[in-house]
Amino acid sequence: MRNDGLSITHSHVGPVCVVTLDGRIDSTNADDLMVHLKGLIDAGEKNVLVDLGAVLYLTSAAFRVLLVATDEAERNAARLALCSVIGQVRELFEMGGLVDAFTILGSREEALAQLD
Amino acid sequence: MLSQSLVLARKLWPSWTDSRVERQLVRPPELLYAVEESPPPTVLVASAVQHVAVIAITLIFPLILGAEAGLNRLQFIDLVSLSMLAIGVSTILLCLRSAFIGCGYLCPACYTAIFLGPSLFALQHGGLPLVFGMTIVSGLVQVVIAPILRRLRALMPSEIAGLVIAIVGLALAALGVRYMLGITAQETVEPSYLVVSALSLAAMSALNVWGKGYPKMFCVLIGMAVGYIASAALGVLDFSSAMPPDGLPILRLPHLDHIGYRFDPIVLAPFIVAAFASTLRVMGDVTNCQRLNDKDWVRPNFGSLAGGVAGNGLATIFCGLAGTLGPNSYSSCIGLSAATGVTSRVIGYAVGIMYILLALVPAAAVLFAAMPKPVMGAALFFTAAFVFTSGMQMITARMLDARKTLVIGFSFAMAVMADVYQNVFMLAPAVLQPIVSNSLVLGTVCAVTLNLIMRLGIRQRVTLKLRQGENKREAIERLLSTQGARWAARREVINRAIFGAVQVVEVIGDPAGGAEIEASFDEYNLDLLIRYAGAPLLIPEKRPTRREILASDEGERLLAGYLLRQSADRIAARAIGNRAEIYLHYDH
Repeated sequence: MRNDGLSITHSHVGPVCVVTLDGRIDSTNADDLMVHLKGLIDAGEKNVLVDLGAVLYLTSAAFRVLLVATDEAERNAARLALCSVIGQVRELFEMGGLVDAFTILGSREEALAQLD
Repeated sequence: MLSQSLVLARKLWPSWTDSRVERQLVRPPELLYAVEESPPPTVLVASAVQHVAVIAITLIFPLILGAEAGLNRLQFIDLVSLSMLAIGVSTILLCLRSAFIGCGYLCPACYTAIFLGPSLFALQHGGLPLVFGMTIVSGLVQVVIAPILRRLRALMPSEIAGLVIAIVGLALAALGVRYMLGITAQETVEPSYLVVSALSLAAMSALNVWGKGYPKMFCVLIGMAVGYIASAALGVLDFSSAMPPDGLPILRLPHLDHIGYRFDPIVLAPFIVAAFASTLRVMGDVTNCQRLNDKDWVRPNFGSLAGGVAGNGLATIFCGLAGTLGPNSYSSCIGLSAATGVTSRVIGYAVGIMYILLALVPAAAVLFAAMPKPVMGAALFFTAAFVFTSGMQMITARMLDARKTLVIGFSFAMAVMADVYQNVFMLAPAVLQPIVSNSLVLGTVCAVTLNLIMRLGIRQRVTLKLRQGENKREAIERLLSTQGARWAARREVINRAIFGAVQVVEVIGDPAGGAEIEASFDEYNLDLLIRYAGAPLLIPEKRPTRREILASDEGERLLAGYLLRQSADRIAARAIGNRAEIYLHYDH
């Protein structure tokens, strides 16, 4: 799905549902991301991995959505982790002091190896 | 009382107490021991000894000062011992990791040609006391510069720093030739000196070009050893002339007989230039250390840079007090740590302690004090080549437009003219003598002045009106990406500015009458001014808690303000009537 600057796709690698984001995440598309993630969790996905490698930047609205989705996953006995948090996106996580608020797992390959 | 002091410190030293969160270093996999890691004792000692050997080469600069000052044997040994002590203390001050002093990396100190020229100039005007007094002043200048590093970038851009280094290289080469050939006041040449220096220089050059591993790494030291052997064979080496008259004890506290302090404004200019040049070198070296220890390095951490410059300033003051030349961070040691993959800060402390202990061993001082002049000359001439070319590389690292070409071309020519037409420049009024009688000062003053004049009118500005209902993110990205390319702005800075503007617009929503973004750019600054109808943005100093962010839109807005504060280099918001403005500044 490509909507207003952000492409959201998902695929399955073993037991892990990998959500690939491409573009920028702000208030204009954060709700779409929330709907997508909540849909996966409600559908019973137990391991959701969000790949941020192709994200240019994310605003406070995006951080809030990711926090809400993380809580939602925990409530459903599922796990939501992030991977490929690099470059400017990583800086934003660090600047916001939000690195510890999420499970961040290195590259996609490393993350899949850990979640498998 | 402490909190009051911290508030005062925050006002005085904003770059030290930067509110931005310090990035976590991402350890490069190729490093064997990163900055915070402690290697086992054997690796620690072996690494420290290598650094001690590399730094030892630069003791040549205090030796030259001692030779030019005509010190007697004992004073010469004292000078060398105190120079070892001072370089040990300097290394520790540079490597320290504390709030205000030290860069926090393995960044050892060395003696440098940067201070040699000004020191020889001061020596002519007022002897060693003037050298030491003005070295202290130069250290104070660095301590004052440290907190305002960011603001000085426009005054001393990298091409002017390169020019200063290149002029230092030229001066060094001239002095090297004098020592290599044994040129006297009568302009005669000493044939044995020529043989010794040629052999020594050939060994250094051959090992540097064709050698590998340790021979390449220690080419200067090996070349100097070749020079010592050749000097001994030709009767130029005379250890007895360096021995104290009453024998050589195993341990000896250096005496302070040759030390005194004088201050004279007539030689102030070269020492201020040296302070700036030294500061620039510390900045370059510390930046290199940061890159070496951080796989995801994006831009320099100014807190660490300021600490490094303050540490170098205090080290310079200590060197002046201890009766020796000013120090500087040492690029070769950073190159060595990169080559070996051992960058632990603790090695810096070990190097410092080793030099402090060596200062108590007079035999070590005698070994250096007896260094024949042609060997000194060969080492000087060899290092001059690297100093000069590294200056040239700094000059050409950025594209030279017409403005920069004239600044560098005119200033370099003036620096050379100061030496070529020395007699003519001596006719200048007395008030200008401190500037025109020294090539380093004349070149630097010319460059800084011309640079300031030619910067007039280079700031470019563009305004974007964001209408109600339009896709503001796309408009912002289009404007800043297009203008950024036109301005040749760094992509990383433009990306941060795009995030800043999009984040602001997200928080202010879709205000009545739209919003206006004014972007202005020059080589060192990118500024955004965003005007809109509404209340000014909240920019909290503390990050909202997870609970606050999740609880309400207000929590999200606080996070937005906090992210903006952290991502911009400066930020301000204010209300003007029923309208508001937010200012975002990014260093470029």
